[in-house]
Amino acid sequence: MATATYPPPPPYYRLYKDYLQNSSSAPEPPPPIEGTYICFGGNYTTDDVLPSLEEQGVRQLYPKGPNVDFKKELRSLNRELQLHILELADVLVERPSQYARRVEDISLIFKNLHHLLNSLRPHQATATLIHILELQIQRRKQAVEDIKRRREEAQRLLKESLGTLDG
Amino acid sequence: MDIISQLQEQVNQIAGIAFNTFGTLQRDAPPVRLSANYPEPPAANTTPEDAANFAEQPKQMSAALVKAAKQFDALVAALPLAEGGEEAQLKRIAELQAENDAVGQELQRQLEAAEKELKQVQELFSQAADNCLNLKKPD
Repeated sequence: MATATYPPPPPYYRLYKDYLQNSSSAPEPPPPIEGTYICFGGNYTTDDVLPSLEEQGVRQLYPKGPNVDFKKELRSLNRELQLHILELADVLVERPSQYARRVEDISLIFKNLHHLLNSLRPHQATATLIHILELQIQRRKQAVEDIKRRREEAQRLLKESLGTLDG
Repeated sequence: MDIISQLQEQVNQIAGIAFNTFGTLQRDAPPVRLSANYPEPPAANTTPEDAANFAEQPKQMSAALVKAAKQFDALVAALPLAEGGEEAQLKRIAELQAENDAVGQELQRQLEAAEKELKQVQELFSQAADNCLNLKKPD
């Protein structure tokens, strides 16, 4: 079994020779990348947005528009899916060589279903954020109440002790 | 698991049931006579209970498919899609942030007042302790 040594450290470690004495003598870390970048031969983008179905070359079955009624569209796509599966079963019994078109239709419906579900994720993210903010406000209010109560308790004890000392 | 992941899992499950159904039925189907020109297919040596099982399989598989589809519909009905749009959500976030800031400042004020009082009490206590010590006559 051949063993290999570890690769040497990158050569720019020399730039950090006096880092302990003087923090600014070493170079700053590189700024965050914007736009597209290449990593291991693949192109990636920093803008994380769900690409629309047309960009992936898939026909969109549910109506486009500003506000899509997700529940209605999901339900109607489900019904379409069931009908297409039934159609595929029929085709396999009667004209088995024409399965390809039906299978394509079924996969189109699945792609639309998944795309709809993926486009619900940003909504879920903002809903989670709203929930977190509400929890935080509740915790802060609780803390304010606790502090008020303790201060009043302390004042009362001090007055009491003053009373016992004077009396 | 959150509702959207459950929905995604359910979609994949429906797909799995569909292709398993077709694959199993195609694999296990007994041979069938295609046209009057060809002779009867050789009698397959399936036992009677195999034949009975095979007759049951489409029924069970289609029942599973319909059940999965109904489950999907139930999950869709459980989606909490309360808001009517993104702007409503953003408006709500802005409101909550403003309220959070106000409550945060109130908390900060209370905290500072409480710390001030704590310092005062500690000061008084150390003075009282000093007085106590000084009143004791050394012998």
